[in-house]
Amino acid sequence: MNERIRLLFAEAIDIKLENLKNSEMSIEVAYIEPLCEEKKISDFIIVPFIKEEYSFQAQLDTNPDYEILEDVAMWQSLLLRGHVLIQANGVVYSFKAERVICIENSQTQVESAIQGPQIALSENINISLNLIRGMYPSPDLSVEEHSIGSLSKTPVFALFDQRRVDPTVLDNVRTKLTTINVEMLHSAGELEKLLVGNRKHLFPTILITERPDRITSAISKGKIIILVKGNMFALILPSTFFDFMHAVEDDYDSYWMTRFLIFLRYTSTLLTITLPALYISVVSYNPELFRVQLAFSIAGSRSAVPYPSFIEVFIMLFMIETLIEASIRLPRYIGSTATTVGGLILGQAAQQAGLVSSIMIIVTSVVAISNFVIPVNSLSFAVRFLKYPLIGIAIFFGITGVAVGLFIYITYLCSLRSFGKPYMRIFGKLRPLEGDVGQVKIK
Amino acid sequence: MNRYFYYNFVLVSFINLLLYVPHILIQYRYTGAVSSILVGIVIGTILVYMYTSAMARYPGKGLPEILKLHSPQWLVTISMLFFSVMWWFATTIVVVAYAILINRFFNPDADANIILTMLVIACGYAATRSTLSVMFIVEIGMIVNAPIIIFILFKAVRSNQLNWDAIHVVANYITEMPTLTCIAASTFIFTGYINLSLFNRLFPPNFRFKFRFIYPIAGAVILLITFFVPIGFHGTEGVNQYIYIWSQTANSLLMQYGFIERVLFLFLIVFLNLTLVYTMSGWHQAMEFVKSCFPSYRPEFDSLKTPMSNYVIVGIFALLSILYLMLTNEKMNMLITTYWLIVRFFVEILIVVWVFVLSKRRSKAV
Repeated sequence: MNERIRLLFAEAIDIKLENLKNSEMSIEVAYIEPLCEEKKISDFIIVPFIKEEYSFQAQLDTNPDYEILEDVAMWQSLLLRGHVLIQANGVVYSFKAERVICIENSQTQVESAIQGPQIALSENINISLNLIRGMYPSPDLSVEEHSIGSLSKTPVFALFDQRRVDPTVLDNVRTKLTTINVEMLHSAGELEKLLVGNRKHLFPTILITERPDRITSAISKGKIIILVKGNMFALILPSTFFDFMHAVEDDYDSYWMTRFLIFLRYTSTLLTITLPALYISVVSYNPELFRVQLAFSIAGSRSAVPYPSFIEVFIMLFMIETLIEASIRLPRYIGSTATTVGGLILGQAAQQAGLVSSIMIIVTSVVAISNFVIPVNSLSFAVRFLKYPLIGIAIFFGITGVAVGLFIYITYLCSLRSFGKPYMRIFGKLRPLEGDVGQVKIK
Repeated sequence: MNRYFYYNFVLVSFINLLLYVPHILIQYRYTGAVSSILVGIVIGTILVYMYTSAMARYPGKGLPEILKLHSPQWLVTISMLFFSVMWWFATTIVVVAYAILINRFFNPDADANIILTMLVIACGYAATRSTLSVMFIVEIGMIVNAPIIIFILFKAVRSNQLNWDAIHVVANYITEMPTLTCIAASTFIFTGYINLSLFNRLFPPNFRFKFRFIYPIAGAVILLITFFVPIGFHGTEGVNQYIYIWSQTANSLLMQYGFIERVLFLFLIVFLNLTLVYTMSGWHQAMEFVKSCFPSYRPEFDSLKTPMSNYVIVGIFALLSILYLMLTNEKMNMLITTYWLIVRFFVEILIVVWVFVLSKRRSKAV
C-alpha cells in the first residue's frame, strides 16, 4: 500500500508511511501528520499494536471505528481529510483521526442580542450541528452532505425539517448545490453568491447568520439551512425582506416595545434612503413644500454655501461614507478616534467654514445613524447604496423623481424571488382553507 | 385572498379623480349629474355582481383563456387586441394628464415630455414584471397610499370651509333626467372589477368572493365625496372654473401642525404613486392581452425570466403614450376622455355579459 501512496502524492515530508511489525503480524500505516491527532494515532494504533495485550486483528475486526476500505480511489481524499490508512493481511482499513483547529466556544459577535442565547455557531461543523440538534431535538431534522469545490472539496451540510420543508425549494437548492462549479470555497458569503447565481444583485436574498436560535426557528418555519465547514456562519434560505428586518430580540422582549422598534426600523430605513434626495429636491425645486418658517430656516442656513445643493450633499455623503469605511477597517482601538475626529471636528468645521449648511449636517448624521438600525448587516449595506440613485434622479426631477424612484425600488423588491418565493410580500393572515394567491400553476 | 380583489377596486375608484370624472360630472351638475350618479351606482353594482359570479366559475383563468374555451381563435384575437387598446387608453389618459399636472404644480420649468418620459419608463419597467409581482406592487401601493387619501378625503369632509348649502342646492337637481355621459363617468368608479379579467389567473380554485356588499357602499361614498365636496368648497358656480378640480380642492386645505402645511403636496405625491401603480397595472394587463393573441402563447403569472416580448410590447405602449402627449393638448385630452368613458361603458357591459352568458351556458352543460 505504502508504495502506491508514495506515487499518488507529491514529494512531501509530512506524509508518514510506516511499516510496523510485532509477533502477531506486520501492518502498513499511512497518514498525513499535521492533519491528524497524534494522541489518537498512538492510542488506537501504535500502542495497542506494540503492547500486544489483545490481538490487533481482532481489534480491527470488532471496533467499528476501523472501516474496511475497498475502493482504492478513495485513498487520496481520505488521507487528505485526516484519516489513517492501515493495511493488515491484505485488507485496507481507514481510521478517522482528524484534528480540527477552531475557535472554541465562541460568543456571538456580529449579531448580538442582549437577552437570548449568547453562543454562536462554531467553526467546527460538529459543534455547530450539536448546537442545532440540541435546540431542535426532532427526528424530522434531515442532514444532507454535499461537497463543493473541485479543489477545496469543502463539505457543505444542508439541514431541514423533512416534514415542513417546501419540496420545490428543496429541489431547487439541491440542483443548485450539485451544479455549482468552482475550484475553491472558503466562506458562507462565497457560497451565497454562487447560490444566488445573479452576479449583479443588489439585495441579499439569502440570510447569513451565526445565531443558532435564528437557525432553529427558521428550520421550524420550513426553511433550509446550509452549513459550510470551517465557517461559523450558516445560510438560511429562502429569506424574505422582512427576515432581514427582523432581529431575534423581537421575539424575546415585550410585545409593544418590539412593535415600536420594528416601526422605528422601517421609518429609519425610509429616512436613510430618501433624506438626501428630499433635501436636494426641497432646497432646489420646491421650497414652498414646507411651511414658511421651516423654508426660511433652511434657506438661512444655506446662505453661506456658494454652490448648489447636490454638491453639498455629495461632499457630506463622501465624508460620512469614508468615515464609516475607515472605522470598520481600523483596529478597534483606533476606530473610536476616527469617529470622534470625523464627527465632531469635521462636522462643526465644515459648517463654520461655509462649505455645507447646518441642516445638511443633520441630514447626514440622520442618514448615517438610521442606516445602522437595520439588524442584518448585508441588508444594511444594500440600503446604504440605495440613496445614490435617488439623489441622481432628484437632481433632475425633484420630489417627483424621488417618488418615482421609490416606486422603482418597490417594483424591484417585489419582482425579486428567493428560490421561487416572493421576496417582498406583505403576508396577511392566510386561512388554510382559502388557498393562496398565485398558488395554482397554469399548465 | 379577497383583499387582492379589493385593492383593484379601491385603486380604480381613487384614480377617478385624475380621469376628469369629477370635472365631467360637475359640468352637468344642473342637468342630470345627480340622478346619473344614482343610476351609475345601480348599474355598477349589477355589473360587479355579474362579473364576479361569472369569473368565480373559472378559477385560475383570465379573460383570454375563458374566451378561448368557447370561441374561435380569430374572434378572441380581435377582441383581445381591442381590449388591450381600451386598457392602454385607460392608463395613458391618466399618466399623460398627470405629467401635465406635475408640470403645472411641481416643476413648472420642466418640459412635460421629459416628465412623461420618466413616468413612462418607471411604469414600463414595472409593467414588464410578472403578474404576481404586479399584484404585490398594487398591494404595497394601496397599503401605503390609501390611508393618506382617506385622511385627505376625511379632512375635506370635516372642514369648516365646506359650504353645505351649495351641496344642498346641487343635490336638489336630482329630478333632472340622467345623461349617458354622466352615467358613463359615474360607473367608472366601479370599474375596478374589470381588472379581474387578468388577475383572476392568480386566484386559487377554492376562492370565493366575500363581502361584495362593500363594493356598492364604498363606491357610492367615494363617488358622492368626489362630486359634492368640490362643490361645497368652491360654490355652485365657481366649481366649474377648474379642470384639476380636486387639486384645487386639496389646495384649499391646510394642515395646521404638520411641517408640510399645504395638503396639495401630500395629495400630489400620493396621487403620483397611485398613477404609477394604476398605469403599471393597466399596461401589464394590456400587454398580457396582446400576448394572448399569439397562438403559441402560454399563460404564465410568475416567470423566472422576463420574456423579450414584454419589453417590446410595453416599449410600444410607452412610445405611443409620449406620442399621445405630443399630439394632443389638455382640451383634446379631456374631450377624448369623455368619449373614451362612454365607449368603455359599453365595452365593459359587452365583456361582462359575454362572460356571464358563457359561464351560465357552461354550468348548464355541466
